[in-house]
Amino acid sequence: MEWDAPSVDTPRAGAEAACFHCGEPCRDGSHEAAGRAFCCAGCRTVFELLTENGLADFYEFGEVAGVKSQGAPPPGQFHFLDEPAVRRRVTQYTDDRLTRVQFRIPAIHCMACVWLLENLFRLQPGIGSSRVNFARKEVSIGFATAEVRLSEVAALLTSLGYEPDLNLADLDQAGPAPGARRLWLQMGVAGFAFGNIMLFSVSSYFGLDHFSGPHLKKLFGWISLLLSLPVIAYSAADYWRAAWVSLRQRRLTLDVPIALGMAAFLLRSAHAVIFEGADGYFDSLTGLIFFLLCGKWFQQKTFDRLVFDRDYKSFFPLSVTRRTGINEERAALSQLRIGDRIVLRHGELIPADATLADGAALIDYSFVTGESAPVEKQPGDYLYAGGRQVGGAMEILIVKQVSQSYLTSLWNQDAFRKRPRHSFATLTDRYSRRFTASILSIASGAAIYWAWRDPALAVPAFTAVLIVACPCALALAAPFGLGAAQRLLARRGVFLKDASALETLAAAGTIVFDKTGTLSAAGLGEVIFAGEPLTPDERSGLFALAGQSAHPIALAVRRFLKSSHSHGVSQFHEIPGSGIEGRVAGHWLRLGSASWLNLAAPRPGNAHLMIDGHYRGAFALACGVRPEIQPLLQRLARTHELALLSGDNENERERFAQLFPRGSEMRFNQSPLDKLHFIKERQAAGRTVIMVGDGLNDAGALKQSDAGVAVMEHINGFSPASDVILAASALPRLDETLRLARAAVRIVRVSFFISAAYNVVGVAIAARGLLAPVICAILMPLSSASVVAFACAATSLAAWRIAFGRERTAP
Amino acid sequence: MNASASTSENPLSQPAGRGEKAVETFYYDNRIVRAFAIATVIWGIVGMSVGLLAAVELFFPAANLNFQYITFGRIRPLHTNAVIFAFVGNGMFMGIYFSLQRLCKARMFSDFLSWFNFWGWNAIIVAAAITLPLGFTSSKEYAELEWPIDIAIAVVWIGFTINLLATILKRREKHLYVAIWFYIATALTVAVLHVVNSMEIPAGPWKSYSVYAGVQDALVQWWYGHNAVAFFLTTPYLGMMYYFLPKAANRPVFSYRLSIIHFWALIFIYIWAGPHHLLYTALPDWAQSLGMAFSIMLVAPSWGGMLNGLLTLRGAWDKVRQDPVLKFMVGAVTAYGMATLEGPALAIKTVNSLSHYTDWTIAHVHTGALGWNGLLTFSVLYWLFPRLYDTKLWSVKLANYHFWIALLGMMFYVAPMYVSGITAGMMWKQFTADGFLQYPNFLQTVQQIIPFYRLRAIGGSLYIVGTFLMAYNLWRTARAGKFIPEEKAQAASYRTQLAAHEDRAFSHRWLESKPVLFTALSLVAVLIGGMIEIIPMIVVKENVPTIPSVKPYSALELLGRDIYIREGCVGCHSQMIRPFRSETERYGEYSKAGEFVYDHPFLWGSKRTGPDLHRIGGKYPDAWHYNHLDDPRATSPGSIMPRYPWLLTQELDTAPLAARIKALRTVGVPYPDGYETNALAELNQQAAKIVGNLKNGQIKAAPDREIIAVIAYLQRLGTDIKAAPPAAKVAVNN
Amino acid sequence: MIILLFLIPLSIALAVVFLAAFIWAVRSGQYEDTSPPALRALLEEPNAAKAPRPIVQPPQP
Repeated sequence: MEWDAPSVDTPRAGAEAACFHCGEPCRDGSHEAAGRAFCCAGCRTVFELLTENGLADFYEFGEVAGVKSQGAPPPGQFHFLDEPAVRRRVTQYTDDRLTRVQFRIPAIHCMACVWLLENLFRLQPGIGSSRVNFARKEVSIGFATAEVRLSEVAALLTSLGYEPDLNLADLDQAGPAPGARRLWLQMGVAGFAFGNIMLFSVSSYFGLDHFSGPHLKKLFGWISLLLSLPVIAYSAADYWRAAWVSLRQRRLTLDVPIALGMAAFLLRSAHAVIFEGADGYFDSLTGLIFFLLCGKWFQQKTFDRLVFDRDYKSFFPLSVTRRTGINEERAALSQLRIGDRIVLRHGELIPADATLADGAALIDYSFVTGESAPVEKQPGDYLYAGGRQVGGAMEILIVKQVSQSYLTSLWNQDAFRKRPRHSFATLTDRYSRRFTASILSIASGAAIYWAWRDPALAVPAFTAVLIVACPCALALAAPFGLGAAQRLLARRGVFLKDASALETLAAAGTIVFDKTGTLSAAGLGEVIFAGEPLTPDERSGLFALAGQSAHPIALAVRRFLKSSHSHGVSQFHEIPGSGIEGRVAGHWLRLGSASWLNLAAPRPGNAHLMIDGHYRGAFALACGVRPEIQPLLQRLARTHELALLSGDNENERERFAQLFPRGSEMRFNQSPLDKLHFIKERQAAGRTVIMVGDGLNDAGALKQSDAGVAVMEHINGFSPASDVILAASALPRLDETLRLARAAVRIVRVSFFISAAYNVVGVAIAARGLLAPVICAILMPLSSASVVAFACAATSLAAWRIAFGRERTAP
Repeated sequence: MNASASTSENPLSQPAGRGEKAVETFYYDNRIVRAFAIATVIWGIVGMSVGLLAAVELFFPAANLNFQYITFGRIRPLHTNAVIFAFVGNGMFMGIYFSLQRLCKARMFSDFLSWFNFWGWNAIIVAAAITLPLGFTSSKEYAELEWPIDIAIAVVWIGFTINLLATILKRREKHLYVAIWFYIATALTVAVLHVVNSMEIPAGPWKSYSVYAGVQDALVQWWYGHNAVAFFLTTPYLGMMYYFLPKAANRPVFSYRLSIIHFWALIFIYIWAGPHHLLYTALPDWAQSLGMAFSIMLVAPSWGGMLNGLLTLRGAWDKVRQDPVLKFMVGAVTAYGMATLEGPALAIKTVNSLSHYTDWTIAHVHTGALGWNGLLTFSVLYWLFPRLYDTKLWSVKLANYHFWIALLGMMFYVAPMYVSGITAGMMWKQFTADGFLQYPNFLQTVQQIIPFYRLRAIGGSLYIVGTFLMAYNLWRTARAGKFIPEEKAQAASYRTQLAAHEDRAFSHRWLESKPVLFTALSLVAVLIGGMIEIIPMIVVKENVPTIPSVKPYSALELLGRDIYIREGCVGCHSQMIRPFRSETERYGEYSKAGEFVYDHPFLWGSKRTGPDLHRIGGKYPDAWHYNHLDDPRATSPGSIMPRYPWLLTQELDTAPLAARIKALRTVGVPYPDGYETNALAELNQQAAKIVGNLKNGQIKAAPDREIIAVIAYLQRLGTDIKAAPPAAKVAVNN
Repeated sequence: MIILLFLIPLSIALAVVFLAAFIWAVRSGQYEDTSPPALRALLEEPNAAKAPRPIVQPPQP
């Protein structure tokens, strides 16, 4: 019969046969099964597994339904799930007979996945029902505890290509926010009552009077009263509770006027029904509550969408060196798996809970626990995330999944919070208190005026004024406008601690630069060694010593030596700003600045080497200035006062003099303390100072400045003292960042103005009794949502214009 | 018949989660589905054939061969009941029994109840097919069946509801798909509607009088009438659309969230419609406006459903070209959209003043019936038979032909009705320049629209031909395949893997235990019992007439009225003159609410194939009525009214008079006590007077013939109000 | 129009029954995830009558 869709079993032609299971091209065609080509053993095993258990229909669902699978998982991969502690956290419910578990499976993408994951009981008899929640890409499986182990279930899923995402940290997110379900219920009740009461009041609009329906007017009145009770008790419960809480704390929030308005309406209507036999205003009261709830739902949906990509911090720039076999590779935090082996050097952060594999560990938990005394750890001990290694390199074994949110919370600790002098947060607090008070006074004024002029309008006017006013734009415009800017900057490699950092950037007056690591990049220039040539084991010894530190000069020396095998280093010691020393293969090596080694006649160079007390020579790093620094400084000079503070010696002065505009302050041989005093001095002169440094050795200056910007290469250091982390690639566009910050602040001020205008006009019309309360209930949520949407849209437009501006004027 | 080889274990009887195996095997019951499917096809053909006969009789009155049992008055209710309750009823049950089991992944709760529903429902249909032609009717549209059958309907329907709800309770799929919600709404609401509208006091084995009177009866009837359309012809079919359309199109429904909103919006306020059938009648004005406002609001949910249906096909429209099932489905959903837009338009008072009582209403009804219900039932049948018999449809070409024939049939039915409806409506209202009716004689409009009745008959016959083609096609499909009585299925019961702590979360468990079920049933019984007491008490108080001169009917007039009801005169004649100058000029003073207080049941009617009769009393001499009823064309040439010769020959049965008067007194008609004893004497005296009038009209008639009672009733119609002036004087001084 | 004294409370009672059904539905999590039900209704038992499988483009979650 021709209307039957062509069956799918005709093998697909194609130059290079596509894998029947997952559609990827099969290069070598070595995997064959039942006349079908597969790209790898994994897909073939899944195909065989399905066909044997009568699930061949899977392939008729869609052209390419399968998910590329790596075949059966390595045996031990999910054993940890069977440990009671982990098992208790993963499963939702378990007893001797039945266990229910919920896995998040990102690979779910189509109906075939839904169908396959809901027919698991055909593959594994112990499994009972399995239900897929497509929106949250989760599958909840119930299986008989006796017959199947949790790890077997996970292994089965992985063998089908649907590997569960076992992110233990954020596992305990509950089901859908109960609030959302409650809001649905409240809206349902309010809608039901509003619809039916409206039908009763329609009849009195069309002339129901005593003659045509003797008792009916009274009946309709009472039924309207009864129907509106659940709405007032249940649907409007949140408004009453919020108003009561704020009254008890004598803090007038927005809910007080709304609750007051509703109460006035309720009393007036009840009076009309009970005493006057009329049918009151219940239709507009329930309509008011219904539209308020719809507004709240609409607001919630728009904010969820705006906030959705807020966790920009999830691709936090932190990366670690992972040891695979003998060589080391750089790995981003998100790629870390349990069981990886990580190399940590001096000053690097422990990304996740781990056990010490080897190397002497001296852990400084200063910004986790606050006390700075480093703690001695032996191999095999348990190390908590957040600690910093002091001293030589060590290797650790990751035990727990990396939790980005924990690391970022470290960064936002109060110890490092700075309060900008004039931020929007203080502004909104001051105004919102006065706002509610003024609204209440206007409303009661209108009520009194109308009670005298035209009593019928008294209550509606009073309620309308209370409902229409909405300060939420004041409270929300700043966080959302600046939040949008933060997200846009994050995409360009500029990570801000919080919104107030953006405000400070906007108000910046003076920009202080550090030289090493900021303007000049260690990796760029080539290294020249002046001195007696080193023997091969001296070279590998120095290579090992330099490997212990993450200082740019040490990295440059290591790259220069390029020796392959490494020695053990003991008594390693690094003095910030001076140099490093340690005992390697019996020799005592010291590498550092001339003053630290108190050399009599130092050769020209940045880092001097001393082996067993003999001065052997100096490494001269050609100062590789980052590209496009020169045009950046020209552009910044037009609007900001610039200054350069460097810990190195004078010999770079004239080189930087050409870069910096005339008259900008340049100081060399600055110790971290000198830098601190210079910034204090400028701040005392009333300037807002921004310090741009590499965040490692000038932490104090960064902390003192109004906004500390830490320039990070592919950083493994991490300095909480900084307010902004700037990826090295984003440094040349620093001026754009400042321009966007100023634009964002301007936009928030504009949205304040819009909100104020809306309130003034709305209250004026409402006071004159022209606005029905129902319409106010619609306007109020609409206004706050539109102001917030405006703030976000304008910010992204500004960012786009600035970025677009750059392409147009690019050299 | 209900040998159930299945493991239809009944979880209600055993506590859930008692160590059952995680996965259960069970069987879907296809026998009941096949039974309902076959009944649908048979009753479809029967109902449509009766409809065709009625259509032919409208332009060719002699088609009733002077045989009283197939006269238009009696077969019109047979047609409406057969098509609605038999064809659409069985079709609905077929759809529900098939889809409910698949959606709940469970067999029907009890095979006994399923077959009780099947045999009970079809027995009721057979009873209707017998009693209606015999004239046993309550005259209330779509609820014409007499009280014994009403009770049977209630019992069978409650049996179906229990079976439906219990199957849902023991489902293995936690989520209730939107179609199931539509089925639940249908079951609950039709039960309430039927019970409330069947409130009647029996006055004999096949005779009863409605508890409500006049305006009340009208409002309750049309509250039931509209909602019967809503909850019997629309919501179950919307449920079937949401199941069978995605199945036939191999595509998930366009927006599942829209279907949820559509359902709850429709259900929360759907129960209010009704008064839009009574616009410009004696109903108070505000009630009419309420009905109008509500009907206009109905467009939103209805069109929400239609769009959701049609948009499900986006991306699959090329399949509609060859696939007959999809063609029928698209035709049905589009017709649903048209009917649900035309309905609210007709509910607007100005439009209604033209369309009420004309053929336009008939066009609207048949757009919905032939289009929405008919085509959707055909599409489900064409989709279902290949599945039940595990084979392909015997001939797709034939099914496509059926679609085009059905569409043509609809065109030939609905278009002529639009033209004749508007023609009649305009001609009734037409005034000459100097203020007289352009067409004073009602027959002038009848002559004008007879050709359109012929075209409509052609449309109807085309539609039936299509149905015959379908029947043959399905029969050959069945013969070609092998019937699968029990379809095997496997699913894990979501109850067993429902962890204990979740039970506490939503205490669903106590809902299923047996005691709760019985308390619910007893609650329903109490509710119905209570209603039977309360309503008469309320309604009786209302019957104090606002017009003092209105008196109850005399015994002879009462029997005449019952014959009027028996012959189904209300099918073509209305008794409600609207307050328009065109109607007061043609018929007389417009009808007041107070005139109908003793009319159990009300006879306002909803179609004027013939003129309005409310002020017929005294307009023509008795002799004219005698000759007209014997042969309408003798007194008014060109009339299409059938002949009623048996009224002249059949003897008036006065035996049940006492019982009927007693029944009427219980529903509030103030017959003096002991009136039954001398009622017969008064009857004979009034009959003799009429025979006297007939004699000086050169007609010899015996006083005990039925025609005498009918003439008495017709001469009494609308005369009470004329007698007002003298009575008013009398009333003033006492 | 006394009958309305009976008809209206009855209609409201029926509407309240449906409101209770709505509350039960929301509370028992019927509407937590609204895209798979539309798919699940389509899924057939593997050994059901050989009808063509639904060819479906991935729905938006």
